[in-house]
Amino acid sequence: MTPELQAAVGQLLGREDVAAFGMVVPAELHFALAKLLKDNGYVFYVTVVASHWPAQPAAKGAPETAEHFEVATVLRNLPQLQDNRTGSQTFSWRVDLAAGQDIDSLVPLFAGADWQEREQYDLVGVRFAGHPDLRRLMMDEDWPGHPLRRDYAIETPHAPWR
Amino acid sequence: MTHAVFDALNPPPVADVHLDLESYDADADLMVLNLGPQHPSTHGVFRVKLVLDGEVIVKAVPYPGYLHRGVEKLLEKLTYAQQTPIVDKNDYLSPMINEQVLNMAFEAGLGIEVPRRARWLRTILAELQRLASHLVAIGTFVMDVGGSIGGGASMFMYTFRDRELILDLFEDLTGGRFHYNTHQVGGNRHDVPVGWDVSIRAACDQIERSLDEWDVMTVKNGVFRDRTIGVGVLSRDLALQLGASGPIMRASGIDLDLRRDAPYHLYDELDVQVATGTGGDCFTRYRLRAVECRESIRLIRILLEDVPEGPLCSLKPSKGPTAVKIKDGQWYVAVEGPRGEIGTYLIAGGNKGMSPYRLKIRPPSLHALATVPYLLPGHTLSDAVAILGSLDPIMGEVDR
Repeated sequence: MTPELQAAVGQLLGREDVAAFGMVVPAELHFALAKLLKDNGYVFYVTVVASHWPAQPAAKGAPETAEHFEVATVLRNLPQLQDNRTGSQTFSWRVDLAAGQDIDSLVPLFAGADWQEREQYDLVGVRFAGHPDLRRLMMDEDWPGHPLRRDYAIETPHAPWR
Repeated sequence: MTHAVFDALNPPPVADVHLDLESYDADADLMVLNLGPQHPSTHGVFRVKLVLDGEVIVKAVPYPGYLHRGVEKLLEKLTYAQQTPIVDKNDYLSPMINEQVLNMAFEAGLGIEVPRRARWLRTILAELQRLASHLVAIGTFVMDVGGSIGGGASMFMYTFRDRELILDLFEDLTGGRFHYNTHQVGGNRHDVPVGWDVSIRAACDQIERSLDEWDVMTVKNGVFRDRTIGVGVLSRDLALQLGASGPIMRASGIDLDLRRDAPYHLYDELDVQVATGTGGDCFTRYRLRAVECRESIRLIRILLEDVPEGPLCSLKPSKGPTAVKIKDGQWYVAVEGPRGEIGTYLIAGGNKGMSPYRLKIRPPSLHALATVPYLLPGHTLSDAVAILGSLDPIMGEVDR
């Protein structure tokens, strides 16, 4: 990550500590950050990962948490092969979503987000606002629930299979 | 009924792949045809709904998911030591690389180094696996374009004959021909058998000779060229947007190979020569795989010159499936598989630290198949088979 990009990302997010992995970004800046990165060389769409975090009662040392979702996005830049040779780096950030909250779809920027976001919607149940065709990708259209949620038991019966 | 002649070298821009069928010309007498899920050219169970105007495809709607078996859910249940044999079945033509990228994510989570001998073995296994996988890709693709080389299955048999040599090498090492379970967290499980380097050299020599023969059969074959040149052109920008990595991307002119640009194993000591093409069509994708086979053979020969000694695993022998525990955290690790960037996004911390909380596998084949709605329109039905074959998708990995 170049210092200029680091400064631009820091300005967008209003924070000093810009890291190429694991930053938590507010949902309303998700699309703007992806656009900024795409304009600054991170043009290769890698993946999107949604995960489900069910409500936890207060445990020792840890406060009570409400049900929420996390969506991590990974982008990659292309290597500089001429005089100033650099490798290819990834940039990844996370968005925390309350239950039922939507996240902006990246399909207008990256056509590849189409199927990836459909898969995460299918398996985890995160809805991507502005997605042109948010259907299930893997499971049947009438499948009840989202299998990769943590509270979806692996033994859940489903007709006609047991 | 007349059709506009499709100019493959200047394909019309695909405006919107999400267009409703109703928005097409009502007088065009369109026909809907299901290609798959059991069609042999789909390389597994993959269904594409094709909307045809005569013989020309106007819209393609893919439906993956027929092989979805919930691998990621299963991995959340199993402990870290139990996961390697499960991911063998994802990309079943390159299980070694599936195992490697999974265990590399766990090693990143633990923050441990892999001994040099294990890294050497992983590098050579990765290159052998790339070679074996590309041989299948080449053979099935030429079979898909059918009788263009006078009996389509002959090339398929030649490549399978030579791939068998590599499977024999893996059998000597691990005892398994397809599902190896030879990688573990911190290193490798099986040490190199006596005389393995001699067998590897013999296999490489044989495959190199075969590659020369196959070039004569295909690249210099007029019918094969007619069937593939200019067919299924993927633009550079679209390849990047879709994340269609590996040979597909490099055939479209994108010079990116994680072996050179984000080195792992011993690749930082090897000078990996990355081939790129400019055509972006089926022919370039085929040709690039053949060239990458030669590069793999070159790297294997370099690796065999200097075999490091030492331990194979940096952890003590496992005391059972719950020995590996990873603290909470997130990691993304990617390697260059035969089909492109295969990655593991690991969110650790499930099951008291013994299982992943969430583990996402980044499947290069799914991103390759995402090009289908963009590549097929404008081509004839027979070209659709060639295009699907040139993408070399593995359904076990697409659907997981």
